[in-house]
Amino acid sequence: MSAARPYVPRPGIRQAPTVQFPRTRRQRLRIWWQEIDRPLLAMVLALMALGALAVAAASPASARRLSGSEGTLPDLYFFYLHLQFQLLGLVVLIATSFLSLPLIRRGSIVLTGIMLLMLVLVPLIGSEVNGARRWLNLGIRFQPSEFLKPVFLITVAWVLSWRLRDPDLPVIGVSAGLLALVVGLLMLQPNLGDAILFTGAWFVLVLLAGLPLKRIGMLGGAGLAALIVAYLTYDNARHRIDSFLGGGTAYDQVDLARRTIMNGGWTGSGLWLGRRKMMLPEAHTDYIFSVIGEEFGLLVCAGVVLVYLAIVLRVVQRMIGEDNLFTLLSATGLIALFGGQAFINMLVNLQLFPSKGMTLPLVSYGGSSTIAQCFLVGLLLAITRRNPFVEREGLPGMEHQR
Amino acid sequence: MTALAAAPRFVAPRFASGEPSAHATGTTARQFPLNAPIPLPLPVPALRSAGETRIPLIDRRRNLLLTAKARILCLGLAFLALAVVAVLRLAWLGVVQPASTEQSMAEALLPPRAELTDRNGVVLARAFPAYALWYNPQALEDSGPPLVKGARQVARELVAIFPDMDEAELTRTLASGKRGYLRRRVLPEDANRVLEIGELALELPQENDRHYPQGTLAAHVLGYVKDGEGHVGMEDALQARLADPAHRNEPVALSIDARVQGALEDELSRGMRLVDAVGGAGIVLDVDTGEVMAMASLPAFDPNHMDAAAQALVFNKVTNQVYELGSTFKPLTVAAAIDAGVITDISRRWQAARPLQMGRFRIRDSHFIGASLNAPEALMHSSNIVTAQIADELGPARMKDAMARLGFNARPYIELPARGFPIWPSGEWPRLRAMTVAYGHGVAVTPLHLAAAYATMVNGGIWRPATLRKLAPGQAPQGRRVFKEATSARMNQLLRLISTRGTGRKGDAPGFRIGGKTGSAEKPGAGGYRRTTLVATFAAAFPMDNPRYVVIAMLDEPKGTAASSFQRTAAWNAAPIVGRLVPRIGPMLGVMPDDNREVDLSDLNPLIHGGKE
Repeated sequence: MSAARPYVPRPGIRQAPTVQFPRTRRQRLRIWWQEIDRPLLAMVLALMALGALAVAAASPASARRLSGSEGTLPDLYFFYLHLQFQLLGLVVLIATSFLSLPLIRRGSIVLTGIMLLMLVLVPLIGSEVNGARRWLNLGIRFQPSEFLKPVFLITVAWVLSWRLRDPDLPVIGVSAGLLALVVGLLMLQPNLGDAILFTGAWFVLVLLAGLPLKRIGMLGGAGLAALIVAYLTYDNARHRIDSFLGGGTAYDQVDLARRTIMNGGWTGSGLWLGRRKMMLPEAHTDYIFSVIGEEFGLLVCAGVVLVYLAIVLRVVQRMIGEDNLFTLLSATGLIALFGGQAFINMLVNLQLFPSKGMTLPLVSYGGSSTIAQCFLVGLLLAITRRNPFVEREGLPGMEHQR
Repeated sequence: MTALAAAPRFVAPRFASGEPSAHATGTTARQFPLNAPIPLPLPVPALRSAGETRIPLIDRRRNLLLTAKARILCLGLAFLALAVVAVLRLAWLGVVQPASTEQSMAEALLPPRAELTDRNGVVLARAFPAYALWYNPQALEDSGPPLVKGARQVARELVAIFPDMDEAELTRTLASGKRGYLRRRVLPEDANRVLEIGELALELPQENDRHYPQGTLAAHVLGYVKDGEGHVGMEDALQARLADPAHRNEPVALSIDARVQGALEDELSRGMRLVDAVGGAGIVLDVDTGEVMAMASLPAFDPNHMDAAAQALVFNKVTNQVYELGSTFKPLTVAAAIDAGVITDISRRWQAARPLQMGRFRIRDSHFIGASLNAPEALMHSSNIVTAQIADELGPARMKDAMARLGFNARPYIELPARGFPIWPSGEWPRLRAMTVAYGHGVAVTPLHLAAAYATMVNGGIWRPATLRKLAPGQAPQGRRVFKEATSARMNQLLRLISTRGTGRKGDAPGFRIGGKTGSAEKPGAGGYRRTTLVATFAAAFPMDNPRYVVIAMLDEPKGTAASSFQRTAAWNAAPIVGRLVPRIGPMLGVMPDDNREVDLSDLNPLIHGGKE
């Protein structure tokens, strides 16, 4: 090795390829297995299995609800569809987790552009469901905002990590501009829930990027003001928040969800033995947590809460030992998005938050959302890949632990 | 510049070209206030070469990362807090929610609460789903008036359906805009008519109601149900059993017999009205099993209509009120004395001419009975003087022990929740205490105590706990022996003697061989006993040749009326109740009148002075 001369860059001479990494498919798989966060993968798979079970439980309720004079749906209609989506989602998840970090960065920037374009198209040519235009029909119907979420956050993380190169760049301003564009497009649909999610995740990112405390307070105030404006101008949100604060009326959605989750007791009524879920609108999507409560019991509900918490804390723990700012920012953004959506959904089901049209990630039924969440988790797995044999710089005092 | 290209990527070309690094480090310090734990080793910005500018850059990278990591920890803590809130909320839901009891169609068809029947299967309390009329002023969900037609009009239409409701009061209730029940029980056809009024504010929630088809019959035994919880009687005592989903379809059989209960309440209330008594209590007890055949406390209440007036009457005089029961204790004293060997010769005589002077206390009879009396005569004529002397010979310790073994030192044994604790002097009894207890003063017990003691005395000497649950044949409790069988046989003779030739003559009925003892105790009032305020009791058993049932009839504060020949004592008011009751209930309980059966009194008759042979 001493014979090799150090490489000195000169015009026209490229660096000679020195060490060739193993490139056979088998070896790459082995490296993937070594580098990937396996506990995270296991928890995600467990959550998806539970999701399949929960959709099986909720499917008859929604299938019967949507059956009418035009035709009837078989009881397990949504369950079988969900299994197909989950299979597709798993492929996306695994495939995404093989991507390399630079590829993710570049791909995300490109995808952000494409999705923003589609988001512009949605108010023009989108299809309308339940009074909101969110879906785009390109052969298959899908929701651009679902796929925009992860790639947008990675793009924002990339923008914020410019700061390492030049502290004078107005990275927060640039990212805020991007966010404003997205939120504006979302409110055209209108889609307040996603707008709040985007804003929340962006806020987490700028916090991590070192936003001073004074500005944090200012931003918090601005967010509150924006919410009040939304409350005053957006009828749907106003009704929901009013009914949350005012206790609502008997047999509205929230009341039905409360009755459902309280019907099973600690251990639940058993699969397909729940009765309250039959009266619950959106049993297989927004209120699937309540169906889990009725059929599998409050203990399983608590278990679901803990699994989501464990996923978040696992990523947090791994990021504590991370020394690449871009990795750290993008992984945290993704997990904030994922955990935020999960906890908002669960708190809505527990009547601790005004009802939002938000699904329980990886558990709720939904084509776009399942695949988009799998994509998100795949990105997370790819970003948090780490060579277990390389030492890293962690928080002071953590070095001796490794 | 070419050399710099190989440098680590965080070295920006802009710095390398000689930008003042003071600006950069200043920005760093201002923008990252969370970096406090790490003092910034800021270099003096004098040197501007490429190598020197890298040091603040490395610091900035490190500081940026540290800030990010500290804030990541905060993020993790925030999620932890959210999860804790969610889990606490789940626990709250799990603890507070009413446990869901109905999960299947089969369970939905079960009655919400098990039925109560008498020993023959006659339904005494049944559950049925009923409607209630609930006023919900918010039903229209706008801020306008709660009623479309106006309170007056709606009240008028409601009164047309329910004529017993007061229109003015109803108008006030509806106009007040307060939600609440307008009516607790609505029949299905009336519910339809209420719906036809067309007011959303009139809601008709389905409620599980309890119906007592026999009205006031056995009200104190049954109790009542309010909001799913039993109160007062067996509804309370059997709450868990009646509400248990596993057993709700099986009715619970009580020991009482509805026919006997009806006869007892009828005769007791008749006797009460004749002498204008303020209350009455009665019990019919099976002497061999302890089953209560009937138990009445008058005035009764209607468990179907529990209002304030009914609430005032739920106190059970049979099990909860303690009385000094007077002369009915005398047979118990004599039995204890015979059992202890104090009276070995039934013909032995005691003086009855002079009142007994015990210090300042004087024991006397209501009238002069004779210069000397034997035990049968003392019981027949109810002599306090002789009974007190017998008790004195027995001694306070043995007297107290006998009373304790009869269960007078504890609450009565029965399932009912409300059971009175006797007034039971503790410690060593003085002589005088034994002497007053002998004729029923100084110890106060419930009528149920007395019934159990009489059952013990006549059934061969075995004490058994009373029960309101029907017992299958052979399930009677073992009991404990209190008196010898010979004592019991002698007492049967003596009791029969009292009602054939003594104060209990009005309590006898031809052919039923009733034996019993009267008792007229003065009620304690302010500053001593009140001579004219009595508790009149007749404690009896029948048929005395083979005793099967004990009957107690008790009147509280009877007055002297024409019906009782202007007498207040038990012989004139309580005893006739038993005399009329037993012929009615005897055949129902399998005791037929028979003139050819009688207790053999041939050994006692020669000892009785005077009277009829």
